[in-house]
Amino acid sequence: MNNKPYKRKPGDFEIRILNDGKVIMIAPDESLIEVAQAVDPVNTPAKNGDKGKWQKPNK
Amino acid sequence: MDYQAHREISERVKLAKEVLANCNLCPRQCGVDRTAGEKGYCGLDDTVRCFREMLYYGEESELVPSHQIHFAGCNLKCEFCVVAEWNEQPFMAKEIDFDDLAKTITRHQNEGARTLNFLGGEPTVNLYGILELLGRVGPEIRVVWNSNMYYNEIVDTLTTGLIDIYLADFKCGNNSCAEALLGASDYMEIVRHNIVRAAEHAGVIIRHIIMPGHTRCCLTPILEWVASEIPNAKVSLRDNYVPPVQATSAPAEYLTQKDMLSAVEMAKSMGLKLVK
Repeated sequence: MNNKPYKRKPGDFEIRILNDGKVIMIAPDESLIEVAQAVDPVNTPAKNGDKGKWQKPNK
Repeated sequence: MDYQAHREISERVKLAKEVLANCNLCPRQCGVDRTAGEKGYCGLDDTVRCFREMLYYGEESELVPSHQIHFAGCNLKCEFCVVAEWNEQPFMAKEIDFDDLAKTITRHQNEGARTLNFLGGEPTVNLYGILELLGRVGPEIRVVWNSNMYYNEIVDTLTTGLIDIYLADFKCGNNSCAEALLGASDYMEIVRHNIVRAAEHAGVIIRHIIMPGHTRCCLTPILEWVASEIPNAKVSLRDNYVPPVQATSAPAEYLTQKDMLSAVEMAKSMGLKLVK
């Protein structure tokens, strides 16, 4: 082990909790988006086409 | 898609495959023979690999629901890339079965997908596979080329008529930042040229992820250029910059609400067509 931050590998999920309490998911796949919808349905775009405030972090 | 272009697609597939034998799809000009298993800057041979496909609702509103197909491999090395692991190790992604994926595309279209969205990684370096796929689906599908726009003319030639919307990810507003953050010192000239060309034959949405501390050097020049050169293009300003865990050149902070509001005001003051 070294002191460098863990580097994501293919297939890993990354969720960050920011200082202000905001939770972000890094490049979520479908299953993580379902989690986001369950946790925060208001700010997550729903499958019925609602446009929430949530956006995917981008490439 | 343009029906005539769709009818010619088998010829374009053939040409795209030939290009891979001396790959010059992008300005890296690697010249490797990807058909013989050689790999260029993007790390790919001639196999086509997808690490994710999904119906997605977080793109610009006119595109959603959008069926995203994420291809592995990229010709930029953005320090802040949130799928860098798939671009650094594209062979960890599964090689696609064209017929199976074409069936999935048709299924999602029947489920209500408004667009078919090719992204990555970067679609450019997977051009051959994308053309193979488009030849297996109907021409009525609206296709989005979700790209860094860092490619050579052959890509525009082979995609003309097949792409309805170029979702151009305009990342940096000068070559110095582009070299430091993306690894491309000739970025500006190439991307600007390709965006203008794309706008001549398709819809264009210029997307910019606002980076903290890069207002004067990146945001402002990009918006000024759009206002001057393609004022009718749609502009999408995104507030979802994610700092890398161990930033060296890329900003280490998240964007503030104030930064975002200032950017929107700037775009509005230039008369740009903002989309969400």
